[in-house]
Amino acid sequence: MDNINILIIEDTPEQSDALIKVLLENNYTVVGVARNFTDALKLFYANTIDIIIIDVFLDGKPDGITFAESINIIPNASKPFVFLTSSQDRQIFERAKLTKPFSFLMKPFNELEILYAIEMAVEKFYEQTNVFLTEEQDTVISNDFLFIKKKNSLKKVALQDILYIEVEERYCNIITEKEKFVILISLTKISALLDPAKFIRTHRNTIVNTDKIEEIILADNLIILQGNHKINLSDTYKDFIKKMNILS
Amino acid sequence: MIQKSSLLYFSILFLFPFFLLSQVTSNIDIISKRLQKKAIEYQSETNFVKSQYFFLKKDWDSTLIYTTKQLSTNANREIADYCHFFRARIFHNKNLYKEAKEELFLISKAFEFSTLTTINLGSAFLGLSDFKTAIVYYKKALQSPDIKNQPYSFAKIHEGLGTCYLFLEEYDKAEEYLLINLHSNKNDQVHLYDAYNSLANLYYEQDKNAKALYFFEKAYFLSKEIKDVQIKNLASFNLAVYEENRGDYKKALIYRKEAEQWNDSLNNQNKIWSVADFEKKFAVAQKQKEIKVLEVENQLKNTQRNWLFFSAIILLVLLTAGIYLYAQKVKNSKTILLQKNKLDELNATKDQLFSIVSHDLRSSVHALKTSNSKLSATLETKNYDELNQLIIQNSGIANGAYSLLDNLLHWAMLQTKQLYFHKESVHLYSIVQQIEYNYKPLLFDKSINFENSVAKNCFIFVDLDSLKIVLRNLLDNAIKFSNENGKISFYTSENNSDFCQLILEDNGIGMNQNTVDELLQENELLAKKNNSEIIGTGLGMQLCKQMIKKNGGTINIESQANKGTKVILLLPKTASNG
Repeated sequence: MDNINILIIEDTPEQSDALIKVLLENNYTVVGVARNFTDALKLFYANTIDIIIIDVFLDGKPDGITFAESINIIPNASKPFVFLTSSQDRQIFERAKLTKPFSFLMKPFNELEILYAIEMAVEKFYEQTNVFLTEEQDTVISNDFLFIKKKNSLKKVALQDILYIEVEERYCNIITEKEKFVILISLTKISALLDPAKFIRTHRNTIVNTDKIEEIILADNLIILQGNHKINLSDTYKDFIKKMNILS
Repeated sequence: MIQKSSLLYFSILFLFPFFLLSQVTSNIDIISKRLQKKAIEYQSETNFVKSQYFFLKKDWDSTLIYTTKQLSTNANREIADYCHFFRARIFHNKNLYKEAKEELFLISKAFEFSTLTTINLGSAFLGLSDFKTAIVYYKKALQSPDIKNQPYSFAKIHEGLGTCYLFLEEYDKAEEYLLINLHSNKNDQVHLYDAYNSLANLYYEQDKNAKALYFFEKAYFLSKEIKDVQIKNLASFNLAVYEENRGDYKKALIYRKEAEQWNDSLNNQNKIWSVADFEKKFAVAQKQKEIKVLEVENQLKNTQRNWLFFSAIILLVLLTAGIYLYAQKVKNSKTILLQKNKLDELNATKDQLFSIVSHDLRSSVHALKTSNSKLSATLETKNYDELNQLIIQNSGIANGAYSLLDNLLHWAMLQTKQLYFHKESVHLYSIVQQIEYNYKPLLFDKSINFENSVAKNCFIFVDLDSLKIVLRNLLDNAIKFSNENGKISFYTSENNSDFCQLILEDNGIGMNQNTVDELLQENELLAKKNNSEIIGTGLGMQLCKQMIKKNGGTINIESQANKGTKVILLLPKTASNG
C-alpha cells in the first residue's frame, strides 16, 4: 500500500502550511506546493500525482480554475480536484462546476473537512459515489489503482502489483508480492470494476491477475503464480484458457 | 246613310257610360249597405276598409291603390272578391273593358253579387263589341232566380240585350228586349231616357221614322226634367240630326242650337271639371311633397335616434371601461400600499438588525480590546496561567464575532440571491462530525457531553454549505443554552423513505411555547430580544429556516423551559440508485 500523492496549489504560505500539516498527519504525501499557475503546471508534469488541491484564487486571479481547465483539456491527464475558496461568488462556482468532477472546500476549514473533501473528490472523479463513508465498501477502483480507506486516510495499491484476490463474503483478501490485506467490497462490484481481460475468475471466490500466471497445471487443476502462489482452478471457470495466447 | 250610322254610333258611344253609371247609382244602396257591414266585419283589414270607403266616395284612383295593396297581402276570398269587383267597376267606368273583364273573371262563383258580376261581364263584352258573348252573359244573368226582384238589373239586362241585337242588326229581337226594358223600370228618369233613346235608335235604324220621332221626342221631353246637361245635349242633338235627315232644317236648326247651348254648358262644366281635376292633381302633388318632406323628416329622426343610441352605447362602454380602470387603479394602489407597508416593515427590521449586529460587534471588539490590554498587563507580570486563560477567552470572543459575521454574510447573500446553491449527496454523519470538530473547545470548556449517533448509512441530498451553516447555528445555540455538564446529542430516526429525520437534542434551559412559535413564524425576521445576555439577533435562526426551506426540508422545535430543546429537521434523502 502506498500513500496518496497530493499536489497543493496555494499562494498563501500559512494556508498551505496548515494544509500540509493536516495531510502529513493523515499519511498523505505532499509532492509539492505551487504558488502560481506556471509552477503548478511544472510540478504537475514532473510528478506522479493522485489528487490536486487548488486554491481558486491565486494572487487575486481565478488561476486555480484556469489550471483545472487546462488539465481537463489534456486527455487522460485529469485528476481529482479539490477547490479551496473563501468566496461564495456565484460566477466562480459556475465556472468551476464546468471542470467536473470537482469538490469544494470553503475556507476556513478544519481537518475533517479536508479529509472529507479529498474522499469526495476521489469518489466523484471515478464515479463511484457513497463508498468511503458507508460500512459496506471502502475501496474505489480506478484503471490503475485501488483507493482504499484506512482509518481517516486513503491509501492506494497499483492493480499491476496484485497477484490474486480471494473473496470472502463482503471482504476481499488482496495478495500482492509484498503484502496481504483485506478490503471491504463485494464480489459483484469488484468483478464489474476490474478489467475483465486482465483479471479473471479461476474459482468461485478467486480472481487472478493473468499477468502474474507462471504455470497452469490442468491435470491438478492448479495455477502457479509469481512468488509460487498456488491457486485452485475450478472446472466451471476453465474456459478462459482458450482465450489465452499459448506459446508452446 | 252615313249620317244615320254616325248618329247611331254617336248615341251608342254615349249610351254606355250612362248605362253603367246609372246602374251603379241604383244598386249602390244595396251594395253600400253590404259594404258597411263587411267593413265592420273586416275591421282589421285597413286596406279593404279604405278601398270600400273610397269606392263609395267614387274616388276611383284611391280605390285602385288600396285594392292593389289589399290583394297583395290578402288571404280572405270574400275580400278578394270585393276587391276584384271594385276594380272591375272602376275599369269599366274608365272604359278599360278588357281589364274589367279580367277582373270579373277573377271573382269567385260564391260571391254574393254574382248576378251583378254576370251582368257586368255582359256589358264588358258589349264594350269590347263582342256582342254574341255579351248576349250569352246577359241571358245567363236573366236566368238568375232573384232577378225579378231587382227591377233595375232586370231592365239593364234587357237594355244590354237589346243593344246587342241592335248591333247585330236583329231588330226584332232588339225591339222586343228594348220594350221589356222600357216597361220594366219606369220610375227612373235616366233609365227611362236611355230606354227611349235606345228604342228611337232602333226604329231610326229600321227607318221607322214615325216611331223613331215619337221616342226621340219622348226622350227629348224627358231630358228637360233631367238635370244632366249631357243628356239634354244628346237628346237635342239626336232630334237635330233626325230633323236634318228628314229635311226639316228649321226644326233641326232649333234643336242644333239647343244642343250647342247644352254643349257649351257641358264644356263649361268640363272646364270646371278639368280645373277641379288640375287642382286635385296639384293638391295631390302638394300632398306628395308633404309626404316626401315627412319621409325625409322621418329619416332624419331615424338617423338622429340611431346616433343617440350609438352614442349612448359608446358612453356606456366608456363609463364601464372607466370604472374598470378606476377599480384597477384602486386595486393597484392598494397593492402598492401593502407592499410599501411591508417594505417599511422590512426596512425597519433591517435597521434593527443593523443596530443589533453593530452593537454585538462593538461589544465583541470592545471585549477584545479590554482583554488585550489585560493581556499585555498580564504579560508584564509573566503570569502564564492567566495568560493562557485570557487567550482562550479571546479566541472565544473572536469565534463568536466570526460566526456572527459569517451568518450576516450568508444572510445578505441569501437576500440578494447570490448564494451558490448546489445540491449533492452528503454523508450526514461526517458532516455532523466536521461541525462538532470546530466546537470541541467550546464543548470542552462547558464540560458538555456531545454524542453523534447519526446513522452512518444516511445520505441526504442537500447543498453542503447551507447544511453546515444550519448545523453550526443549531449547535451554537445548543451550546449557548446548555448548562455546564449538559448533554447534546445528534441522532437520526428512520420513519420515512424520502426524508431523513435529524434531531438535535439538548438538556439546556429550553424555552416556552410562545418563544418557539415566535421563532418558527414565517415572516418575523427577528425574534424579540428579551434577554440581551443570551438571546442573540435571531439572525441565525432565520438563516436556518430559510436554508432548510431552500433545501426542501422542514424544521420543527419541541421545547420545555428548563428541561431542554429538541430541534427536528426533515431533510430529503439521496434517491438510492441500487
